[in-house]
Amino acid sequence: MRVARCLEVWKMGTINYLESIKLQKKLVSDRKTNKISDTLLSLQHPLTYTLGKRRTDHNMLIPMSQLKKIGAELHYTQRGGDITFHGPHQAILYPIISLREIGLGARNYVEKLELTMIELASLYGVKACAGQKGETGVWVGERKIGAIGVQISNGITSHGLAFNIDPDLNYFKHIVPCGIADKGVTSLRKETGLEKCKSQRWEGQGSFKGLQWLC
Amino acid sequence: MASRLLWASRAASYLRISVFHRGFSTVLKDLKYADSHEWVKVNGNSATVGITDHAQDHLGEVVYVELPEVGASITQGDSFGAVESVKATSDVISPVSGEVVEVNEELNNSPGLVNSSPYEKGWIIKVDIKDSGELNNLMDSEKYTKFCEEEDGKH
Repeated sequence: MRVARCLEVWKMGTINYLESIKLQKKLVSDRKTNKISDTLLSLQHPLTYTLGKRRTDHNMLIPMSQLKKIGAELHYTQRGGDITFHGPHQAILYPIISLREIGLGARNYVEKLELTMIELASLYGVKACAGQKGETGVWVGERKIGAIGVQISNGITSHGLAFNIDPDLNYFKHIVPCGIADKGVTSLRKETGLEKCKSQRWEGQGSFKGLQWLC
Repeated sequence: MASRLLWASRAASYLRISVFHRGFSTVLKDLKYADSHEWVKVNGNSATVGITDHAQDHLGEVVYVELPEVGASITQGDSFGAVESVKATSDVISPVSGEVVEVNEELNNSPGLVNSSPYEKGWIIKVDIKDSGELNNLMDSEKYTKFCEEEDGKH
């Protein structure tokens, strides 16, 4: 029998990366001690590049000085995954949930994150699919539309997924995205040609999607 | 609205299909187990620690193992390292307290040993344990098998 669970959704708008890390750390700690229920953060970041635990900074193709010039930040994190870019009009979900409470492992959790993005893309008529083995994420053909990087600490998740609604894809040229050299990136805008891909509208739908499989 | 309802029913079917019940994971009789899915093999004051078959199956293919330093002090219930799989880093919790005397350097080149041989070649650390009484906080193979069944039954 499934026990009723609660998911609190925070729609945060644009938030600085380090602020979001600080917030997630607090929420993970509070979730661990059951001070809060499962929580879902829905947000965007300003121009930001991030690296995962393996610190694959050989996949950053421009020097720090140039990063500063273009107004982007670079951060090292404890999440899984390789280097990635975050920016305006890229929709981000950070679920802070207890996998232990629902008996879910990393593999199944990540599959559900992929499904969330696949289903959202299909709402706009875009046929996306999960990556092949070793290429976790969501793809439209050979082009990546959604990325995943997760940290699981004492069975509590943080970080999460980033889905390209309409970010400036040129920023991905400064990195080897996710460490995969021979494949491109794409966005909902590029795949649909829609003039208006309002990220605000996605924040509502995206968090709704995240909500569906968690309940 | 209709598309949302359609998505909801599709998601429900995905939830049923995506859960992979592979029957029983291997559980070895002479080991002790933590509820965070680590195992420990004790020989006097010497302990070997790794993650269980159940854990490696739920993680997916391990691509990186973060090992502690030799000489590090670890405490039962605290994180001592991490593994990365499917773009997720998961911390590894120590089932015992003591000093790390050896780490499995093979995992730097072959992290997949954690998947292919979780109880043998995929061992992670060796520890000089301080308090063997702590082992009473752990599960035996029978209890752990039941624990895994209950956990898998949650979804």
